[in-house]
Amino acid sequence: MSNEVESAQVSDAMEVAQLSSLAAVDSHAGSCEAEMPSRLLNDAVRSLPYHVVKDLLSIGVCSRCVLRILGTEDHIYCHSSFSQSMLCSVLEEVTGFKSECDFQFCSVCLGVLQLSYRDDKETLVKMESPNDMALVIAELVKKEGHQIDGFSLEVSIPQFILENESSLLSGMKKRYESEPWLQERLLSKCVSVKDVLKFAITKPLETLLDTKASASSFRIRLAYTHKMAFGNSVERNQGFKRRKIGTENGLQNVNDESVVANKDCSDYPTNETIAVTGRSSLKVPIDKVSEPCHLVYLCYRTHIYLCGRYLKYSRNVSQTRWIIDEERMGEASVEEIIGSNILPMCRGDNYKFHAAGREDIDVRMLGSGRPFLLEIQNARQVPSEETVKEIESKINGLENKLVGVKNLQVVGSQGWTLMREGEAEKQKQYCALVWISRPLEDEDVCSISLLNDMQILQKTPIRVLHRRSPLERKKIIYWMKIERIAESSQYFLLHLCTQAGTYIKEFVHGDFGRTQPSIGSILGCRAEILQLDVTDVKMDSF
Amino acid sequence: MSDVRVDHTQKLEETAVPNNLEQQDKQDEEQPQQSVQENAEYEDEELHKLLVPDITQLPLIPPSAVEFNFASYFAPDFMKPGNDQYVYRHANGLCVVGLASTHLAFKDKGGITAVDFNVGKSDRSGMKVTGKRKKNAQHFESNTALCKVCTNGDSYIVRCCVKGSLLEVNERLIKQPELLHSSADREGYIAIIMPKPADWLKVKASLLSLEEFKKLRALC
Repeated sequence: MSNEVESAQVSDAMEVAQLSSLAAVDSHAGSCEAEMPSRLLNDAVRSLPYHVVKDLLSIGVCSRCVLRILGTEDHIYCHSSFSQSMLCSVLEEVTGFKSECDFQFCSVCLGVLQLSYRDDKETLVKMESPNDMALVIAELVKKEGHQIDGFSLEVSIPQFILENESSLLSGMKKRYESEPWLQERLLSKCVSVKDVLKFAITKPLETLLDTKASASSFRIRLAYTHKMAFGNSVERNQGFKRRKIGTENGLQNVNDESVVANKDCSDYPTNETIAVTGRSSLKVPIDKVSEPCHLVYLCYRTHIYLCGRYLKYSRNVSQTRWIIDEERMGEASVEEIIGSNILPMCRGDNYKFHAAGREDIDVRMLGSGRPFLLEIQNARQVPSEETVKEIESKINGLENKLVGVKNLQVVGSQGWTLMREGEAEKQKQYCALVWISRPLEDEDVCSISLLNDMQILQKTPIRVLHRRSPLERKKIIYWMKIERIAESSQYFLLHLCTQAGTYIKEFVHGDFGRTQPSIGSILGCRAEILQLDVTDVKMDSF
Repeated sequence: MSDVRVDHTQKLEETAVPNNLEQQDKQDEEQPQQSVQENAEYEDEELHKLLVPDITQLPLIPPSAVEFNFASYFAPDFMKPGNDQYVYRHANGLCVVGLASTHLAFKDKGGITAVDFNVGKSDRSGMKVTGKRKKNAQHFESNTALCKVCTNGDSYIVRCCVKGSLLEVNERLIKQPELLHSSADREGYIAIIMPKPADWLKVKASLLSLEEFKKLRALC
């Protein structure tokens, strides 16, 4: 009787204490939970089966895990105002159980839900409230200078925690199988450690970052791993299957006798303990966890893409960075000119350049331009439409006028499909400056223009044969047109439209007769190519 | 036109970009729909200006693709007097071998009648090299026979001249041996060989440059 009064008084006092902290909670903008979180907590705790709580606490399960496993609604114990110590004392108060003096990490969640971990400097961190963790994250986001309009929170934890939990649950089901509360609380799936942590951190994070959690390209990731150094396990159940784990994840146990829970481990040896307690005792695979998990906070943006078409006005600029023996070929590259102008505007870490095909260093890319995709890694800022237009003007206004850009815009991941679309059917248009070994006749101009959809056979050109398979490729020349050059009888411009993958230079000079037919063979003389320009890359979607 | 090196004709042509590229963009914004066609025509014109070369800057006879992209070497009297062969080496290391114009076979009246690749242990025209690594290519020494060139009165063995992997033989010569007469230095090539860098350096020492060869054979 007096006990009850006592506990009522104590809990009243606690309520008072919590009411004042509640005031602090109220001023915390954005927390629109139930008016009396502390009351809800107390009610919830009182409704728990006390002996179970005692049992769990005695094998080193932390307060949040106790509440979680016994099916308490997460919003009750995840409130940002509830500190570790508060939750612990509420449970202890109600159940009359005193935990050991030395602080231990939870045998189920390994400290994750106790907001305890080792950081990247190996310092032990024990946070009191989810707010504190949210603060660390917000600081990191600010330090990196990310501009965000949303975030996606991810948590990854060692597999071991799930295995721990699963073995504990099976043990509990066995031990308490006849009890009434089991049906309601335990047999429904309990909320996972990950979800609880995410839930606890999300609201305060939304407030601090002034934005909502959503499916966003900006990712915040809490990566927990567990290294070695488990405490000495006092008892080992013979019922467990023994299995050694690899050392990769650090989930290894120093003791050779260590065991990993697996699905067969619900066989608790009842022999030795039954005599003492009358029923099987509760076990977790690892008790006395002396080391918490290692936590790494990561925040990054997934790739963003910019697409457009580029033009290359120079015959001394390669498409991508080309370096042989530490010497650069050509004076610049399209990739670097475009990438170096866009990357700083996105404040990204790195860029990757992808283009729909390519042209030789000495071939200009004119006309409509060639479609390209620029991938920016971990952009701190997604450029606005205006900024993108500015970038385009800037590149087009560069003094050396080596490269130009058209239709620059930010695009989603569908940019890839746009690039690959119709790759095989892609037609390209060229203009070649050709010289032949005899004067050009009107008949030549005529006969060339009559050749439509002409099939040619090209053996792998000698200039690329060292790194390509020796093959014979069928290609189609869709149409050709000769444009005479005034004051020259042997030079002319050849306009032609061909299938993607056709080697134009070899089509003109014949490549030792390995491309058949060639301009030379068609006109019955020797033909040479002096210059080549790409005048159109036909692609609708870009 | 150069495959690898900077195009020397670059300086022949104006690479000036139309300065009105930016003005063009403004035009696009301001003007209404019907001048889209005008714009397209304007762009075509500008493009055309870039394409047309300055004829005064072009040489009368430009260097051929072979001259520009290959380094020419010669092996006079290879293994036998009169057996003059050429080795054209591309910057990527591949060598095209064939009969030099001074080869004895060309002096034969009646001309070349047949080319037979079935010499040595195998028919060279039958082999198939596949893949980027060209693993199943046969490795030949510089004196390995490639083919037999037959004239009315005589036959001549053509050899590799370069130690390396045989990538390809010119099968067209089987049906069209006259290619050797019309252009032995192009369509009439004999084979393509890929030497290892070390092997090339060794054989290079024994080959003559075009200048040296011309002097030797007293060609103009």
